[in-house]
Amino acid sequence: MRKFRHREVDATFELNLAPMLDIIVSIVPMLLLSVVFVRIAVVETPVPQAVQKAIEQSENKNDVQIQLSLSKTYGFKIQVMSKGKTQDISIAMKGEEFDLQGLHEKMISLKQQYPDVFKMELHPSEEVPLDKIVAVMDKVRTRTKTDPVLYFTDTESGKKVETELIFPDVVFGNVAGG
Amino acid sequence: MAKRRGGMRKFMDRRLPSTFKIQITSMVDMFVILLVFLLKSYSTSPVNIPPSDKLTLPVSTSMKDPVDVLKVVVSKEGIFVDEKEVAKFDSKGEIAVSDLDANDTNFIRSLYTELDHQAEKSKSIAKVNDTLEFDGKVLMQADRNVPYALLRKVMYTSMLAGYSDVKIAVMMQE
Repeated sequence: MRKFRHREVDATFELNLAPMLDIIVSIVPMLLLSVVFVRIAVVETPVPQAVQKAIEQSENKNDVQIQLSLSKTYGFKIQVMSKGKTQDISIAMKGEEFDLQGLHEKMISLKQQYPDVFKMELHPSEEVPLDKIVAVMDKVRTRTKTDPVLYFTDTESGKKVETELIFPDVVFGNVAGG
Repeated sequence: MAKRRGGMRKFMDRRLPSTFKIQITSMVDMFVILLVFLLKSYSTSPVNIPPSDKLTLPVSTSMKDPVDVLKVVVSKEGIFVDEKEVAKFDSKGEIAVSDLDANDTNFIRSLYTELDHQAEKSKSIAKVNDTLEFDGKVLMQADRNVPYALLRKVMYTSMLAGYSDVKIAVMMQE
């Protein structure tokens, strides 16, 4: 019995946590300094180059071009140019605000019509603030879970490929004038 | 024997108050939780924006990570290129007419001079260092309420200075 008690005393030991605490205490201030609560992302908006634009237009005469104009007076105006024909679509303002949901639905139906087009030109009016422009770009970039599934044709294999993107390539068309 | 026991008790009475151990187990537990939380929000992003009421970025669903390129800041106070002020706005938040070119009102002269200088610098570095290349990328950090009229002027000027790939910095929507 005495022997057993002796063994039991030996088996209980305390873990020395002091060095671990030292390390943690030195790491925590370093991490606290580099902590961010706001995550930054980027939205790509290349400015069209005049020469590049002219080359593209001459090469793809039969290509589909989609232009989206936005203004606080008339809302959205979508112009679709395909094979020399022009189609105009208007989405009016919803009171004081832009009808972003209406625009999103229209863009989904346009994508179903022209599945291989990913580029779109944006023509905002001078008074439109940046957050509205970014909100519009968000609405035309990707589909939501409730939207119908979108497909495009892969140029190499000729197969239909599912995509989340609607018109991700947005360029400001009226930077250099117009 | 009794004498010895008494001596032992005396010794223990004298010794016990001075030998005690702090229970740090719970403190370590707390620190480990804190460490995990901080590691989760640790960022190595090249873009750091100090919180300010002069610059509130727009919120977007974009998930693209920012890149370390030349930064142009358009706040409520003025235009800055890599933290150097190039143009100051008036009380209405508009750019001074003296900063604009007389023949082309979309052209901000002071911004062009600074961007051109930066482009020349990048190009001269690229000449010596093969791993670097001047790609005309610029990250625009603009306040959410800045009108397109002003953004257009900034983009137009940067395009003329050779920076045609403009990226707009946004706050990631959680």
